[in-house]
Amino acid sequence: MKLSSRQILFFLAAVTPVGKLILMPPQLAAAARGDLLLPVLAQLPVQAALVFCVLLAARDGRTLHEMLARRIGAWGAAAVSAALALFLLYAAFVPLIEQKLLVQSIFYDTLPSYVVFAPFFVLSAYLCSRPTAGTGRLFDVLAPLSLFGMAGILLFSVGEADFGALLPVGAAGAGGFLQGARRACAWFYDAALLLPLLGRFDYKKGLAAKGAAAYLAGGAVLLAFLATFYGVFGDIAVIQVFAFAKMSHFFAGLTVLGRIDYLFIFSLAFVMIFYAAMPIQGAVQLAADCLPQSGKWLPALLSCAVNAAMLALLYAFNFYSDRIIDLFTGRLFFLIPAAGAASALLVLLLGRRRRES
Amino acid sequence: MEQQLLSGDLAADRAALKALLPAEDILFRDLYDAAGTPFVCIFADVLTDKDLLAEQVIAPLQRAVTQQKMERVLAALRAPELRTRQSLAALADEVLAGNPVLLWEGGTDAAVTGQRKAPARAVTEPPSDIAIKGPREGFLEDMKSNAALVRKRLKTGELRMDALTVGRRSQTAVTVCYLAGICREQTVRAVKQKLSAIDIDAVPDASYLVRFLSDRPYSLVKQVGTTEKPDIFCAKLAEGRLGILTDGSPIALTLPYLLVEDFQSAEDYFMPPARATFLRLLRLFALIVAIYLPAFYVSAQIFKLQLLPVKLLLTIAGSIRDIPLSPSLEMLLVLLVLEVLNEASIRMPKYVGMALSVVGALVLGETAVSAGFVSTPAIIIVAFSGIGLYAVPNLIEETSIVRLAMLLAAGSVGTYGILLLTAFGLVYLVSTENFGVPLAAPFSPLVRRDLRDALVKYNLHSLKTRPASLNGPNKRRMK
Repeated sequence: MKLSSRQILFFLAAVTPVGKLILMPPQLAAAARGDLLLPVLAQLPVQAALVFCVLLAARDGRTLHEMLARRIGAWGAAAVSAALALFLLYAAFVPLIEQKLLVQSIFYDTLPSYVVFAPFFVLSAYLCSRPTAGTGRLFDVLAPLSLFGMAGILLFSVGEADFGALLPVGAAGAGGFLQGARRACAWFYDAALLLPLLGRFDYKKGLAAKGAAAYLAGGAVLLAFLATFYGVFGDIAVIQVFAFAKMSHFFAGLTVLGRIDYLFIFSLAFVMIFYAAMPIQGAVQLAADCLPQSGKWLPALLSCAVNAAMLALLYAFNFYSDRIIDLFTGRLFFLIPAAGAASALLVLLLGRRRRES
Repeated sequence: MEQQLLSGDLAADRAALKALLPAEDILFRDLYDAAGTPFVCIFADVLTDKDLLAEQVIAPLQRAVTQQKMERVLAALRAPELRTRQSLAALADEVLAGNPVLLWEGGTDAAVTGQRKAPARAVTEPPSDIAIKGPREGFLEDMKSNAALVRKRLKTGELRMDALTVGRRSQTAVTVCYLAGICREQTVRAVKQKLSAIDIDAVPDASYLVRFLSDRPYSLVKQVGTTEKPDIFCAKLAEGRLGILTDGSPIALTLPYLLVEDFQSAEDYFMPPARATFLRLLRLFALIVAIYLPAFYVSAQIFKLQLLPVKLLLTIAGSIRDIPLSPSLEMLLVLLVLEVLNEASIRMPKYVGMALSVVGALVLGETAVSAGFVSTPAIIIVAFSGIGLYAVPNLIEETSIVRLAMLLAAGSVGTYGILLLTAFGLVYLVSTENFGVPLAAPFSPLVRRDLRDALVKYNLHSLKTRPASLNGPNKRRMK
């Protein structure tokens, strides 16, 4: 069974912005201060264009591996698929670190044991072994949850925001903008997340344009969040990691209603679990496509192996989270946009509209 | 295996049937017609209406001259339900089902006369599905009565009732009911195939069939709908579902099942849509609170006190100060006591059950709190949780286990454990299908049209189409 185009649009509009709410806002605030919207404004159209390219390639109706195999043979296809899988695993590292820090920070009063995050990989391994149609159906549930969480947090915090802090526009200068754009790169690989889904949804006329528009709509929500974030925290936004869990604290109604903002926070945290698992799921899918179809247990085994490896890596660098983030957003910033753009353009070249026979 | 047929030699056929049916309650009555032709009437003593048998079979036969001809025999009988059988095994099955069988000298066919009378109670309101407004009739253990209750409500030739037999020894009659042209043919075929493939000794109740009809038989999640009310059964048939009546069971099965069905009640259709919507949302809210409240309470106490408002936190802190048990163990203990009380009160005789409730609620609860074993908030939370689960009674078997699992996750990993377990559940639910219909529809996959009668209930005038999630051939139910 295939995903529907609606589910793809839900993913682009409602799930992708949620993955950028944890560490990206303070990183942008540190780089561009009040101009933190500008780097995102620059990233969004680029990423939307790449989404357009990947969705356009979906007209072919084949999976990425099939497209590659048709042009460069089975071994070549396996090599490229493996490279793209590695890229997705590389891209997954920052969200995983974010998730781990988020879990340790917002779910516990005191620093918990390291192992509390380990069950995430059990879920991820399970998710990776499920049929892709299940992922599409997840988007049907995650999209309203994401909108509920975002709307709630924005509603509770917008009253406390001083949007004047964003002015004057351009105060950080070109240097601030470039620095912000560079740091934001680690979070913009959404087009690449669609690669493993190629051939698993039917292309309907106009899907590429709708997909790009949906992505931009999601981007608009992200921009609203960033603006409110900077409006609430101003100059101290730089140190406000996990801001989405803190912004709504200041809402006056909470003293009467109690901490109902946790409903929104947990909704977003729930969506983030799936967003963090998506690159791993994509990598497993790409690798599984290269395996022979006969062994049903092979994808499950692969899923366990990949997730175990990610778990081991994450805990191997457990005490170096800050340095890893700095590395990904600093010296190695170009890897994600370069590989993301190259893969999107590659599939656009490979994908041809299938002629009706 | 080749079936042994009647030979026409009455003595030999009688002996062969006696060998197949040696039980003492199977009676062999010798008869003669007016011309002296010998007959044997075979019937199950406890399952046959003997007055009717005498009136419709024996008396007319004794007055007739049949000349050993089947047409004359059948013409002489006054039984409204008449059929013929040739195989000895089929005749034995008919007798065991309560239908008398008539053999005669020279006859290679035997008449099955149908004076079945199974012991049955009167039609009453089912205890698990009480309606304040709406029909109060409930299904019985007798399948013919159940079929009559269905036929009474759906007076259409499209209503098909296909009979099957399941169970090697119980030979339980099972009827697959559906509306031809409305129910998906593939579903009917698949259900019949699954039922025919069942190879089991006996089927004492419809719940035995549920495991064989589920695509994931070991799953905790319910995959087949159940009802004890013919009005609900018929409404589901009219929506495009298929129903299964099982002889000996007052529970009818409906397929394909959607999870949202259990949040709906028959009464929702007899009240204003706004009230029905409110009640459905209330059921969902009660269920969510019932499952998550004990877990979040434990998680808040152990890992994240900020989850609780300050004033409530102070109250709770005062209550739990001297409790010797850890929060998770305390909650687990109180939940287990509730489950034990619940189980015991269902099984106990009515009057003892009432006394037990008093002992459980007052003596155990009150004394445990005053003795300092458990805290008052724990009792309140478990009590609310216990009540909340019963807001959706058809899911109680699943939700009580999920509640326990949530509690264990909360006690070991905290709130993140609760979220992860919920995520597991969600992934499992959305990928579960039965007979090609996703369990979580119309929410996942989203079927917009069906949302009009899911948790929100639209006015009847807006419900012009049957549920699209069921993918039936006939979409429109109202013009």
